[in-house]
Amino acid sequence: MSGLAGFWEAREIWREALLASVLSGALLGFLGVWVVLRRTVFVSAALTQISTLGLIGALLLEERLGVAAEHLGVQLAVAIAFSVVGALVLGTMHGARRLPTEAGVGMSYVLAGAFVILGANKLIHVAHDFGSMVFGNAVAVSLSDAMVIAGVTLVCATVHTVFQKELVFVSFDRETAEAMGMRARMWDGLLFFTIGLAIPPAARALGALPVFAFLTIPASAALLLVSRLRPVLAIATVLGVVAAAGGYMLSWIWQIPTGATMVALAGLFVLPGGLLRLVRAS
Amino acid sequence: MPPLIRLHGAAIGYHGRALLSGIDLEVAPGDFLAIVGPNGGGKTTLLRTLLGVLPLVAGRRDQPASLRVGYVPQRDHVDALWPLTAEDVVIMGRVPLAGAGRRLVAADRERARGALGRVGIGDLAGRPFRTLSGGQRQRTLIARALAADPELLAVDEPTNGMDPAAELTAMDLLRDLHAGGDLAIVMVSHRLEAVANYARALAFADQERGLWRVGPLAGMLTPAALSELYGRAVAVREEGGRRFVYPVGGEGRAP
Repeated sequence: MSGLAGFWEAREIWREALLASVLSGALLGFLGVWVVLRRTVFVSAALTQISTLGLIGALLLEERLGVAAEHLGVQLAVAIAFSVVGALVLGTMHGARRLPTEAGVGMSYVLAGAFVILGANKLIHVAHDFGSMVFGNAVAVSLSDAMVIAGVTLVCATVHTVFQKELVFVSFDRETAEAMGMRARMWDGLLFFTIGLAIPPAARALGALPVFAFLTIPASAALLLVSRLRPVLAIATVLGVVAAAGGYMLSWIWQIPTGATMVALAGLFVLPGGLLRLVRAS
Repeated sequence: MPPLIRLHGAAIGYHGRALLSGIDLEVAPGDFLAIVGPNGGGKTTLLRTLLGVLPLVAGRRDQPASLRVGYVPQRDHVDALWPLTAEDVVIMGRVPLAGAGRRLVAADRERARGALGRVGIGDLAGRPFRTLSGGQRQRTLIARALAADPELLAVDEPTNGMDPAAELTAMDLLRDLHAGGDLAIVMVSHRLEAVANYARALAFADQERGLWRVGPLAGMLTPAALSELYGRAVAVREEGGRRFVYPVGGEGRAP
């Protein structure tokens, strides 16, 4: 109880961080259903690297060329631009004759990761807090960062509420949707635009590991539990919130790394569905 | 009656490279056209080009903007991972009609249930799509196409992977849907025998030989025409009101 009491007493410190975590958990938990069902889990991992590459690019421009990119909003905007373009390219990419789609995603992931390391190596002034700036730490989050995540959540919620039937049809059976006159590329683009938009601000607040986890674990847990799409979306969203808020609180009380605690807690949510499947199979 | 859809001097293919050219094809209301040919012969490419999914390499394609198309893909192409019921899948057929951003209403759900009933699986509406048998999934996909109130029903390899009984059932269903109405059906199949008793017109497509022929069933379902298509002697026999097509002899052409 003393841990909980201490946590509550410190609410002035963690209020924005918890808000950002909860919003990110909800948003990524929801979008994760699309990521998992579209079988594009590693696209989300590549996008985290690509958005980080954008951030590095903005920092290098500022340091080396004197371009005014020191404002956090500018850096975030560049990261979002990189992520959205990456999402539109990787998410709507279809296997070519010589290479499967996965090869393109894998190359994007490792190349973006390599350029992040090379770019970071060239940074001078911000090198000391580069880790938390790029990968987040989910502990110290500014109100403006939380507001950006709230805005992105609102945009994504609006798109997915208004156009859910189109996104489901094109995602489930692109070939038929196209044959029946729908502009599949446009709807694919809209879906991956929302995913590309969500990753950078969430990664900045929480870090790369929780973002990737929230895009895969809550959706997987929900898919193991229920067999209807709307309940899956609702459960994944709630699990994202619980993992983010619960992980944040536990990490505060036990004084352990926040992002890793969120991921570990999210991992527990897969157990009920996994056990249920085992029982049904036996 | 004016055609629903038409290709004029068309060349089909990918990335500007023609697989098959010189294609003239019209589909009118009430037609039942089967496009047959060997695997990899360009049948599905032709169907997708006919529907406007793939761009023409050359030639012209005419289709009224208001044409309602129902499409039945090969059922293996549909991802059974999705947590959807049969009814959820069928109601997708109403999505292009509803318009972007508009909600599906109770009437759309009624149409979806009606389509499920029409293909004989109305009782499976609430079943998860992933738990349905192959034949039931095929019917669900046909129901989805019907839910779009199509003037043209395009079906890609409807009997792929089916046992003979299921194949007959699927083809009988298509025949019943076509009977006595204006619904036009264009079907792709590599199983000539599966379509020989149902289609009214046949098209042969084989990009390897640059072969393209289309015409009424009677003129196309002859040993000479079929032997040219398959590159070996083929016999056609009628028994008990059904046509049977089978290869004869060795690799040589039919006499």
